[in-house]
Amino acid sequence: MGADLAGGLALLFTPMPFFYTVLGVFLGIVVGAVPGLNGAMLIALSLPLTYYMPTTHAVILLVSMYTGAIAGGLITATLLRMPGTPSNIMTIFDGHPMAKAGRPGRALGLGIGASLVGGLVAWVALLLLAKPLSIWATRFGPFEIFALVMMAMVLIASVSQGSLVKGLLAGLLGMLVAMPGVDPSAGQPRLTWDWYQLNSGLKLLPVLIGVFAVSQILKDIVELGRPVERMAAATRGILMTLGDYRRQAVNLARSSLLGTWIGLLPGVGASVGSVVAYTVAKNTSRHPEEFGKGSEEGIVASEAANSATVGGALIPLIAMGIPGSVIDAILIGALMLHSIQPGPTLFLTNPDIVWAMIAACLVSTVLMYVIMTASVGLVVKITMIPRTFMLPVIVVFCVIGAFGTDNSIFDVWVMLAFGVVGFFLERIGVPLGPFVIGFVLAPLAEAKLRTGLMMTGGSYWPFVTNPVAAGFLSIALLMLAWSLRGEWLAHRARLHDPTV
Amino acid sequence: MTRDVDPKLEIAVCLAIVVMCGFVLAEAAGIPPGYFEPLGSGPVPRATAWCIITLCALTIARAVPRLSHRRTTDDGVPERWLDAGAMFALTVLYVAALHLRLTTFAVMTSAYLALTIGLLVRLERRLLPWVVGVALAIGFGSQYVFTRIFVVDLPGL
Repeated sequence: MGADLAGGLALLFTPMPFFYTVLGVFLGIVVGAVPGLNGAMLIALSLPLTYYMPTTHAVILLVSMYTGAIAGGLITATLLRMPGTPSNIMTIFDGHPMAKAGRPGRALGLGIGASLVGGLVAWVALLLLAKPLSIWATRFGPFEIFALVMMAMVLIASVSQGSLVKGLLAGLLGMLVAMPGVDPSAGQPRLTWDWYQLNSGLKLLPVLIGVFAVSQILKDIVELGRPVERMAAATRGILMTLGDYRRQAVNLARSSLLGTWIGLLPGVGASVGSVVAYTVAKNTSRHPEEFGKGSEEGIVASEAANSATVGGALIPLIAMGIPGSVIDAILIGALMLHSIQPGPTLFLTNPDIVWAMIAACLVSTVLMYVIMTASVGLVVKITMIPRTFMLPVIVVFCVIGAFGTDNSIFDVWVMLAFGVVGFFLERIGVPLGPFVIGFVLAPLAEAKLRTGLMMTGGSYWPFVTNPVAAGFLSIALLMLAWSLRGEWLAHRARLHDPTV
Repeated sequence: MTRDVDPKLEIAVCLAIVVMCGFVLAEAAGIPPGYFEPLGSGPVPRATAWCIITLCALTIARAVPRLSHRRTTDDGVPERWLDAGAMFALTVLYVAALHLRLTTFAVMTSAYLALTIGLLVRLERRLLPWVVGVALAIGFGSQYVFTRIFVVDLPGL
C-alpha cells in the first residue's frame, strides 16, 4: 500500500497533474462560493474537456474540483448569508453572526481549519478502508450487487430532502430514463419509439448537464430578485492557532468521523453530514445557547463534517462502484466515459487510477487549505460578478459540453429537455440527487438481476438464501419502514397541529 | 429559506409523468419475451413504470387536500418567471440556429449572449457597453479557445 500511495503522490507532483490539482481546487472553491453554482455543475461541465486528457489527469482534476467545491461554499455562507452549496447551510447559522459581529476572518479561519482536519481524517479512512472493502466486494455475485444497488437507492431516497415518496420517485424516474436503447442482452432496441438517436440510449453527460446546470440556471433566473447581504472579507484571525485546535479537538474528531461515516453511506452527501454533526455538537456542547449566534463549535462541526464526506464518499465509489454522493455519481460517469468500469475490481484492473484518486484527495485537501487561506479576498471579488452576466455565459458552456459528447446537436436538445425536467421536479420538491444516481446505477442493477436469474433458471430464492443479498435487502426494507414511520408520525402531528 | 410546493404544479407534473409512463408501458408491451434468459427486456421497464405511477398517485393524493389551502411564500421576493421563460425561449432559438448551421458559432453565440444578458439587466443603458463587450469576448473567445487550443468541434458553420 505504501509503495502504491507513493506512486500516486509522485504522479501528483509532476507538472501537469499538479497544475490540474491547483486548477481544480481553485475552480471548485470559486464555484462552491458562488451562490447558485455548485460542484456537480462544475464537474458535469468540465467532463467534455477531460476527454482529451489521460484518465489519471482527468480524475485528479475532478476530485480536486470536488474537494474545493464542498469547502468553497463556506465563504459565501459566512459573508453573504447564502450557502454556496447546500452542504454549507449549517455554517450560516454561526458563521454569519460571527462575521456580522466584526470577526469575519475568525469565522472563515475556523471553517477553513475544520475543513482541513475533516478532509484529512476522511482521507485516512479512505486509505484504510477502500482496499479491504473492495476485496470483500469482489466476492459479490449478481444477486448481492443487485441487492446492494437497491439498498443504496432506498437509502438515498429516505435521506434526501422532502418526502420518501418523492425521493423514491426521483430514483425510479432516473432508472426509467436510463432504459431506452439497444438492450445488451437481447441485442434489440427497446423504448426507442423507432428513433434511431435513442438506439445508444440517453447519454450521461447531456442528462447531467441538463439536470444540474440548466435547471439550476432557470431556478437562479427565477430568483434573481433575491437581495444579497454582502460583507467585505477580512483575513485577520484567519489562521487557527494550536490552542484553537486543542480546544476544538473533540468536536473536530467527532464531526470528522461522523462526516466520514455519513459520506461512506451510499448516496448520502455532505449536507446530511453537516446537519448531523452540527446537531450532535449542539446537543453535547456546554454552551448550546451560543449555537445560532456565532458559536465557534457550530462552525467547526459543520465544516469538518461536510469536508469529511468527500473522502468518505469516495470509499464506496472506489471499493464497490456505488456512488457515495451525487458528485460521485458524476465521477462514475467520468470513469465510464474513459472506458473504465468502476467496481470492486478497479484496484486490480486500474490501480494507477485508484491511487491517483486517493493521492488527489489528500493533496487537494491540503491545497484547499492553502488556497482558501491565501485567496479568500479574490474569491469574494469573483463571487461579486453579477449573475445576470454569468448565467447566460454558463448556458453557452452547457451547449458546448453537451455537443462535445458526440458532436451531436441531438444531445443539446436532450440537455435542454432535461433542464426543464429538472427544474420542474425540483420545483415540486422531488430531489435531483436520487434521479442522477438512479440513472447511473440502473444499467448495473438490471444487468446483474438478469444475469442472476439466468444462473438460477429464473428463481428469486437467492435473495432470501444468500446471506449478503438478504442482509442488504433487509436493511433496505428496514430503512423503508423507518422512513415511512417517520412520515406517518409527521403527518399525524400535522393533523393535530396544522402549523407543524 | 423554503418555499411551499404549489399543489397545482405538483399535480400537473405528476400527471405529465404518468402520461410518460403510459407511453413507456405501451412501447414495452411490444417487447418480445426473452429467448435465452428468464426475464427478457420488457419486465424491468414495465415494473419501473408501474412503481412510478403508484408513487405519482400517492403524491397527487397528498397534494389534493392542499388545493384549498392558501399558499405561503417564505420571503415575499418576487419571482422572475417571465425572464426565465424568455431566456429559455431564446436558448431554444439559439440551439435551433446552431442546429440549422445558420452562421458561425462565434456570431450566433455573441448575438445570443447580447440578447440574454441584455434581457436580464433589463436593457439598462449604463450596462449596455459591458453587455456587448462580454458577448463579443465570450462568443469569439470561446470559438478561438475551443477550436484552436482544445481542438473540439463546435456546433454551427
